[in-house]
Amino acid sequence: MICVASVEGSSPENLEVVPTPPPVVQHTQPEVRYNWKDITQDFLTSCEELELGELMHDANFGLFEAMSAIEMMDPKMDAGMLGNRGDREVLNFQQAIQRETVKLKDLTAPELIGIIDTMLSSMVTWLEGHSLAQTVFTCLYLHDPELIEDRCMRAVALGVLKLVDLIKNNVNRASVFEEEDFQTMTYGFKLAGNVTDVRVTGMLREVEDEINRKVKSTRCKQGEERDPQTELEHQQNVALQARMKFCRLLLMALIAFNKPQCSGVTDGKRLLIQAGELLEVMKKTIHHGAHPDETATPGKMIPYILCYFPIIMGFEPLVNQRLLPPTFPRYTKIIGREAAMEYFQGLLNRLGQVCEVVNIISIHTILDFFIEFSKASPCVLSRSLLQVLAVSTDRKVFGTLPFREALREAVRAFNYPPALVPRSYVFNNPQAKEYVDAFLSRAVRPFSNLLQIHGHNRARQRDKLGHILEDLSSLQDEADKVDAALHSMMIKVDPQRQHLACFGTWVLYHILRIMIQYLLSGLELELYSTHEYQYVFWYLYEFLYGWLLSTLSRAEAMYQEHDAYMEQQKGGSKKKSKKKKKGRPPSKEIVLGQAEQSLCGGYYKATQGFYLDERLKKPVFEFDNEQVRYEHRFAPFASIVTPPLVPYSQFQDMVALEKFSPPLQPADFYVQACKCFQQAKNIYESFPSQTKEVQTLCKVAKTNFVVVKLLLGGHKRESKSPPEWDFTEHNTFPIIRLT
Amino acid sequence: MAEGKPENMRFDADTSTQESEGRQKLRSWLNMSLRVSMTDGRTLIGVFLCTDRDKNVILGSCQEYIQDPDDTSGEDPRVLGLAMVPGHHILKIEYDDITANQIM
Repeated sequence: MICVASVEGSSPENLEVVPTPPPVVQHTQPEVRYNWKDITQDFLTSCEELELGELMHDANFGLFEAMSAIEMMDPKMDAGMLGNRGDREVLNFQQAIQRETVKLKDLTAPELIGIIDTMLSSMVTWLEGHSLAQTVFTCLYLHDPELIEDRCMRAVALGVLKLVDLIKNNVNRASVFEEEDFQTMTYGFKLAGNVTDVRVTGMLREVEDEINRKVKSTRCKQGEERDPQTELEHQQNVALQARMKFCRLLLMALIAFNKPQCSGVTDGKRLLIQAGELLEVMKKTIHHGAHPDETATPGKMIPYILCYFPIIMGFEPLVNQRLLPPTFPRYTKIIGREAAMEYFQGLLNRLGQVCEVVNIISIHTILDFFIEFSKASPCVLSRSLLQVLAVSTDRKVFGTLPFREALREAVRAFNYPPALVPRSYVFNNPQAKEYVDAFLSRAVRPFSNLLQIHGHNRARQRDKLGHILEDLSSLQDEADKVDAALHSMMIKVDPQRQHLACFGTWVLYHILRIMIQYLLSGLELELYSTHEYQYVFWYLYEFLYGWLLSTLSRAEAMYQEHDAYMEQQKGGSKKKSKKKKKGRPPSKEIVLGQAEQSLCGGYYKATQGFYLDERLKKPVFEFDNEQVRYEHRFAPFASIVTPPLVPYSQFQDMVALEKFSPPLQPADFYVQACKCFQQAKNIYESFPSQTKEVQTLCKVAKTNFVVVKLLLGGHKRESKSPPEWDFTEHNTFPIIRLT
Repeated sequence: MAEGKPENMRFDADTSTQESEGRQKLRSWLNMSLRVSMTDGRTLIGVFLCTDRDKNVILGSCQEYIQDPDDTSGEDPRVLGLAMVPGHHILKIEYDDITANQIM
């Protein structure tokens, strides 16, 4: 790179013809006069003299620098080569107007439908992570809507620009995207900033009314014979009207979502439903739109582009090619019209789901909602809107409740620390209050980060979860100090009541959840080799779930202690408190945690049996060993003090079977695995709320139970081929298949 | 690295006698402006930095012209930076002769 810079320094100015000094005034293009001399033959014959592999170069230019050169005529690196195939001329909007290759007025309905559909397609392609220059702005009309005379085209163009602007702003605000998700570069295009939202929606509505009149005038009247032409016109107008309205509703919905304090969510949801209905009409009428004319100039068209980009009037895929950096990704494939409609359908559904978040009150439930929502790997726009709605505005939940207060509520609901319960001594003590407030303020950053992490794409989430453990580690430290301080204050006044590990338990709970999530996401992302499953499941089974369960039961115990205390204080009203106890959320979490622990146990025991059976083999590592892999897999856990990182030696002790006599047989492990899977199955079967997730996990546990049982019974016992881990049913907990 | 001024380099080319004639020629062109025409009709102008037996040429501060850069119809070149042209795509190579440029 250094060399490139120095080369850049020797720009044409330096190499300029000596007798003519550069005209200083001319800033745009310094006049460079060359005196070209053909040396082709000379050059080529001279090259022949070089040895194979010999480079002719200067002292400060070597192979290393040569590596960073882009290779011309390589379709992957050379973006410019595409534009040169064939004789098609690339015209910008102005030029296209001059040559009359685009119409500015009197666009026909099929043209409009085709253009709108292609715009929507390119918008979807943009949302999927491509650059604006290669997608939305291949539409020439969007370069300068002011020039368009056709009212319909103009309104749509402005509407699309507004949509792009709103989407971009929301995604930027939420900042839960990475370069693979979304391109924010606008390449200096204007996004209709000079027109207000209201004006644009108004324009769209006006045009819509106009079309509506046409729809009515061409409608089938009773007892009237209609010619096919009118019928066609009618259908086209219906199709066009649906598209106009869709654009307007989508725009209005996004505007509604951006109203402060989530006040527009109800409206937004209604608009989304309406837009969804229109999509059905649009899907059925795609054929009415103008389609790329593939027969127009055979041979002259670039076949490469044709298969990637639908060229219809008003679109020029290469118009922005020069705005792109030299090595920009080749060619962007624009998604098909049907596929784009499907995408919008999915988007509307996802946004509908997002709206539900405003009905949630507690931070813990919001976090669960985020985790659940993220499981389906939603698109960047829905992820961003979720963030914008729930947390993104100045650290307030839903734009109203300060994050710190939301956290206070969350801790209180989790285990009722005396410091957060009115009427307890430490609640009213100013010193204690100060401690608690300071702690909660400290917790705001890691917890809002935690929420934000769940807006990222799945692969990035894992990475970020690993990092946030460092923040939580210091928060844990803080929590312990606050607990100790409060405890010493409390013990003086009320020796019976304690304030031990209250905040600590809460932080620990989150740390454990993150650790489990971190390990499980490795399964989902298919990061582990099958020979790593053993220690991953072992770690989950023996430690993380164990820790999580004991943490949850401790929280439960604290809650009961609080309950008992309250009863004692009040003296009566026993009924009420009992009622409360039943619906406690941790108990549900404990049950599910137990089931997952059993599942992991089943896998771990099964792998051990497989190793003994020689169905699974540890690879012979030449350049690393299992310890290195193990330590790498659990490296992020090292920053946490509680629970401590379990060293590799402990794992080795655990799986070393030599110490047993008589020596253990594979069947011994299969029996254990069987038990584990059965236990998981039983828990899932008797779980009160049979969600889809619970049902799937139940099926996984059941199938695995049967498979291991068969194995015990001697089925395919002789086979030495490794078992298959089938993730199609559930993406973290596989079904074991024998081969 | 920064003081590697092309002007100096052009003249302190290795003139040791054991280098073959072709090598000397190539060396004399190093750090000069080259104009390379490619098989697909594009022309590149950049600083000659490196070549090998297969006539692959690396140009620095490279600019790409789609039309013939001779007719200065105001075509804006596209800046490519460091670019390598594979030998078999080269149609024509010219260099910017600054020594014979006293004619005005």
